[in-house]
Amino acid sequence: MPPPRTREGRGPRDRPPAPSQEEDPEKWDWNCPETRRLFEDAFFGDEDYIRQGSEECQKFWTFFERLQRFQNLKTTRKEEKDSRRPKHSIPALADLPRAYDPRYRINLSVLGPDTRRSRGLGRRLAPERVSEFRQALLHYLDFGQKQAFGRLAKLQRERMALPIAQYGDRILQTLKEHQVVVVAGDTGCGKSTQVPQYLLAAGFSHVACTQPRRIACISLAKRVGFESLSQYGSQVGYQIRFESTRSAATKIVFLTVGLLLRQIQREPRLPQYQVLIVDEVHERHLHNDFLLGILRRLLPQRPDLKVILMSATINISLFSSYFGSAPVVQVPGRLFPITVVYQPQEAEPTTSKSEKLDPRPFLRVLEAIDNKYPPEERGDLLVFLSGMAEISAVLEAAQTYASHTQRWAVLPLHSALSVADQDKVFDVAPPGVRKCILSTNIAETSVTIDGIRFVVDSGKVKEMSYDPQAKLQRLQEFWISQASAEQRKGRAGRTGPGVCFRLYAESDYDAFAPYPVPEIRRVALDALVLQMKGMSVGDPRTFPFIEPPPPTSLETAILYLRDQGALDSSEALTPIGSLLAQLPVDVVIGKMLILGSMFHLAEPVLTIAAALSVQSPFTRGAQSNPECVAARRPLESDQGDPFTLFNVFNTWVQVKSERSRNSRRWCRHRGIEEHRLYEMANLRRQFKELLEDHGLLARAQASKPGDSYSRLRQRRERQALYQLKRQHEEGQGRRRKVLRLQEDQDGCSSDEDRGGTASQGANDNVDIQDVKFKLRHNLEQLQAAASSAQALTRDQMALLKLVLGRGLYPQLAIPDPFNSGRKDSDQIFHTETKQGAVLHPTCIFANSPEVLHTQEQEARGSDGSRDDKDKMSSKHQLLTFVSLLETNKPYLVNCVRIPALQSLLLFSRSLDTNGDCCRLVADGWLELQLVDSESAVRLLAASLRLRAHWESALDQQLAHQARWRLEDKDDEETAPVNRKEVAALSRELLQFTASKVSYSLRRLTGLEIQNLYVGPQTITAAPSLPGLFGCSTPSPHPTKGGYAVTDFLTYSCLTSDADLYSDCLRTFWTCPHCDLHMPFTPLERIAHESTCPEAPQDGPPGAEEAAPEPLQKASALQRPYHCEACQKDFLFTPTEVLRHRRQHV
Amino acid sequence: MWGALGPVGDMPCLLTLQMECEAERRPLGVFECQLCALTAPYSYVGQQPPGTKSVVGLGHSAHWHHFLPCSLLEESYVMRDPFTPDKDRFLILGSRCSSCGRLVCVGPECSLFYSKRFCLPCVRENIDAFPQEIQQDLEKRKVPSKRPASQPGSRT
Ligand SMILES: [Zn+2]
Ligand SMILES: [Zn+2]
Repeated sequence: MPPPRTREGRGPRDRPPAPSQEEDPEKWDWNCPETRRLFEDAFFGDEDYIRQGSEECQKFWTFFERLQRFQNLKTTRKEEKDSRRPKHSIPALADLPRAYDPRYRINLSVLGPDTRRSRGLGRRLAPERVSEFRQALLHYLDFGQKQAFGRLAKLQRERMALPIAQYGDRILQTLKEHQVVVVAGDTGCGKSTQVPQYLLAAGFSHVACTQPRRIACISLAKRVGFESLSQYGSQVGYQIRFESTRSAATKIVFLTVGLLLRQIQREPRLPQYQVLIVDEVHERHLHNDFLLGILRRLLPQRPDLKVILMSATINISLFSSYFGSAPVVQVPGRLFPITVVYQPQEAEPTTSKSEKLDPRPFLRVLEAIDNKYPPEERGDLLVFLSGMAEISAVLEAAQTYASHTQRWAVLPLHSALSVADQDKVFDVAPPGVRKCILSTNIAETSVTIDGIRFVVDSGKVKEMSYDPQAKLQRLQEFWISQASAEQRKGRAGRTGPGVCFRLYAESDYDAFAPYPVPEIRRVALDALVLQMKGMSVGDPRTFPFIEPPPPTSLETAILYLRDQGALDSSEALTPIGSLLAQLPVDVVIGKMLILGSMFHLAEPVLTIAAALSVQSPFTRGAQSNPECVAARRPLESDQGDPFTLFNVFNTWVQVKSERSRNSRRWCRHRGIEEHRLYEMANLRRQFKELLEDHGLLARAQASKPGDSYSRLRQRRERQALYQLKRQHEEGQGRRRKVLRLQEDQDGCSSDEDRGGTASQGANDNVDIQDVKFKLRHNLEQLQAAASSAQALTRDQMALLKLVLGRGLYPQLAIPDPFNSGRKDSDQIFHTETKQGAVLHPTCIFANSPEVLHTQEQEARGSDGSRDDKDKMSSKHQLLTFVSLLETNKPYLVNCVRIPALQSLLLFSRSLDTNGDCCRLVADGWLELQLVDSESAVRLLAASLRLRAHWESALDQQLAHQARWRLEDKDDEETAPVNRKEVAALSRELLQFTASKVSYSLRRLTGLEIQNLYVGPQTITAAPSLPGLFGCSTPSPHPTKGGYAVTDFLTYSCLTSDADLYSDCLRTFWTCPHCDLHMPFTPLERIAHESTCPEAPQDGPPGAEEAAPEPLQKASALQRPYHCEACQKDFLFTPTEVLRHRRQHV
Repeated sequence: MWGALGPVGDMPCLLTLQMECEAERRPLGVFECQLCALTAPYSYVGQQPPGTKSVVGLGHSAHWHHFLPCSLLEESYVMRDPFTPDKDRFLILGSRCSSCGRLVCVGPECSLFYSKRFCLPCVRENIDAFPQEIQQDLEKRKVPSKRPASQPGSRT
């Protein structure tokens, strides 16, 4: 009977022939590199399965050596000729080979080497060696098959063992019968990974699964791709802010809630999806709650759309009833029993009255564990603390304890850590050592760490809460909810029975709220309201939220958006508002981007906007390292923090392009978290694309062709980068590292952290972030932008500050008048609503506050007093800031100093004057006293003209943008706004900000604010002053008194100690232009000046060139407009077109 | 002398081209082991899966593929190896028992190969037809934790 069809056969030709002359079998050495190369040449060519020099090739030889050893052990195997067995009656069994040979167990056959390539081989190698090699290759392939199949089988076993595996059919069946299904199951039941796969297996092909966090999108897409055996296929993908792996073949996509909302904004009926999975609905994120509301409205219009809500087993009935008692499939979790130990903290005599957390109760738990559980019994500890300060307090103490016992590896875990540092919690502790992970609530649901046996729950959480009255965000400490306490406890029972130490009393637990406060009830809602307006979902006050937000929060948000100019008085989107609603950025940032692109400052503004949108790149603690501080100094800008960040980013880009590999070290040396700079680069690119997409920035030309040599070089470089990236990805699946115990302070570190200098594997030396950065960004373009940024002129800088100031307005703070007499650290500032705010320690002005102090002026008013209150100066400054954050004190974050008078005249929503305009009150809280009436009036008039001019330029740009959107983006050539006009405006603005007028600046007291206005007047002797400030006849202001000149300027409404009739007093005055000599009131004088036929149309004092007359231009912008919807013809400005068109939406 | 077949003309190139197309193709169906209910999509059934070649020294035309000069000794259900990015790697899922015809996976708890594929129930029934090495090997294996094939949906 024929032997198995191994091609090699066992025929006579394989019989060991006599050794050839050259080959002495005794001397044969498989380890000889030359021998190996001969075989590799023959078997492992470029086109072969295993390539010469590849990792696979190395693996083969390792396998080969092992096989040789194994076979040597077995050489004594007897050739069993067991012919006694009868021939079997079943045909398949009848012809089994009698003599056993392991080869018969292999279902593969391997052919000989490529004879074309291996002519030399025949002459040099004995056939039995070739046969031996082929045997080994056969075993190697079989081994590979067994290994891969083993993985496949293991994967399926694990999937089947998940609690949810028993419920897959029920979920699919319920989904067939209902439009909405709630799947409720606790962490570890497998819902997030399995439900998408059940849908895939059931044949669905347009599935979206939303996640609250970007990181979860990536990891779930990877996991689901792996489990559904399409790890290297394209049916499972993810889409997040900067990255997408989605393609036409993608059947299921994981994406963030925010991104899905953007998709709904573009296509409200979501035609691209069959099934929508909304995961983690119980976390009650703002966007998730909004999405649920949108879906509830959408479902009747899309009866074919299926929705699966996935939740922990928290408050399930809320979701079910919100969707008309949607059916619930509840999956039990898989938890081992957990013992709860209540250890309430007795009121202990604290060492000091400081707010620092007492670490002793936590240390006692560590001690208790050491005493009770032998170190060989593995199991790590997870400690839940309220915030970063608490983590560092316990970290310090626990590390001291750990250095004594050598039994603990203490690791912090919070969101401000770099990804690499966060990853350390997954590393393995050496034998006899437990990990002690000190975490914020990030480990409650977001990060799952295996091997946790003990949990310590402080019962506290720090959360941002928004105070709508004070308009500030507070980071406050709260008791957690019962639901959170249960989540925390559950972390101890994932891999075995566990213990949860609660550092509070059972009665405390009973008093906890059942669920955490949903985000919508504790954050600022302006972004949400703006998005709602942009999506035309109607009045936010009546939107059917699953749980409505507090009405005051909504009102505050609406008011804020009106303040910011995004909503008009009827709460409709203004043109700039509708553009802002399309930009997925903070309102303030959006405004900066729009204004910056108008002034051709897009490149620097892009960088600054990106820098202000990510967490500070400056590492905590580097502040106390003098080396870091010194190294950072050259990057600091005394204009303000955004400019320091701007310098950091630009210099970093230069470092990257010049000495490419050094950027990591460059950052470390300066205490900069490089990860944040990568984020900035990504965000900057995204902002740029947004501006291009919205017609605000001409699309960059495809990179210059260059000569063929440089093209070739570039292509080579990119290929090399891709290769590096691929290698990195193949080597991924991060091998868990073993933690090392060490005494120094920065906690336990894995070997990886030893910096680029330590000995590392070749693969680890590749800075993969750098590779990805260079693949994603055009470094040359970035570098060009960075070097042009370093050459910003003074004028450009001043304009940039105006752009920032206008974008950030009304976020202003005034330095306290006594600051110049205070210590650096005691400088305080006041905003309209918050007194006594301080600077963040990283703020440039915290280290050099003197740049904010007003220099004394020779002018009158300075009587030697040490304060700035009544000091006359032309150089008063205000701080404009990005955010006000309250922790233990209110902090101003990211400040820029701006000239006070000019900024207030240009930006304030409300400007009130007295009769001679020497006294001005901006926004009802800042008072300016100018020395003389004449310059006051001139400045005021100039600011009015500039504001109008600026407004009209902005209008033109927005109109251009709207037109550009309608006309299918085909007129990319035309610049948004007339360059000449912008240049003129820029020039005038610069002249205006440079104007030198002495004035005093102070914050009004509460009492003064109450008695600010004269109030409505009975005798309204309306001054008939045609063309005053270039406007129509002022009308009496109904509440303040005086006369409303524009929507922001009210003339002569301030009460004053001076003569009530002062504004009626006329003095002789000669017009410098027409030589008219007449008695005038100040108002009449201004009126004459602005209409004097001889007067040059000049700007502020010192202006030379004629400015265009923007006010009359306003009507010139009107164009005939035919509305398709109402079939009428109009004469509209572009803004009016937008406003009109909105009526039809 | 080494190759089982001598050099051949152009025909095999055509063959490899066909295989290439096969490799790109969607799964043909879902393989399910009748003993353990393991399921996986398969993309090929036969003895010459995509990524292999039956002839030595050809295939130079397709530089982007890396062929393995090998073939299978049984009609197998095969998928692209899902654990490697290399598109030319295959993974044998299973085949029919040559005695009873049951479709079984290659897992050691379901079947074994001894010059042919046998499902473990058949091997146990006819254990004396196999050499001692197989018998010993079988004793070492633990009794399979059987998932009855009559409940194919037990996974979901
Ligand atoms: Zn099986
Ligand atoms: Zn059988």
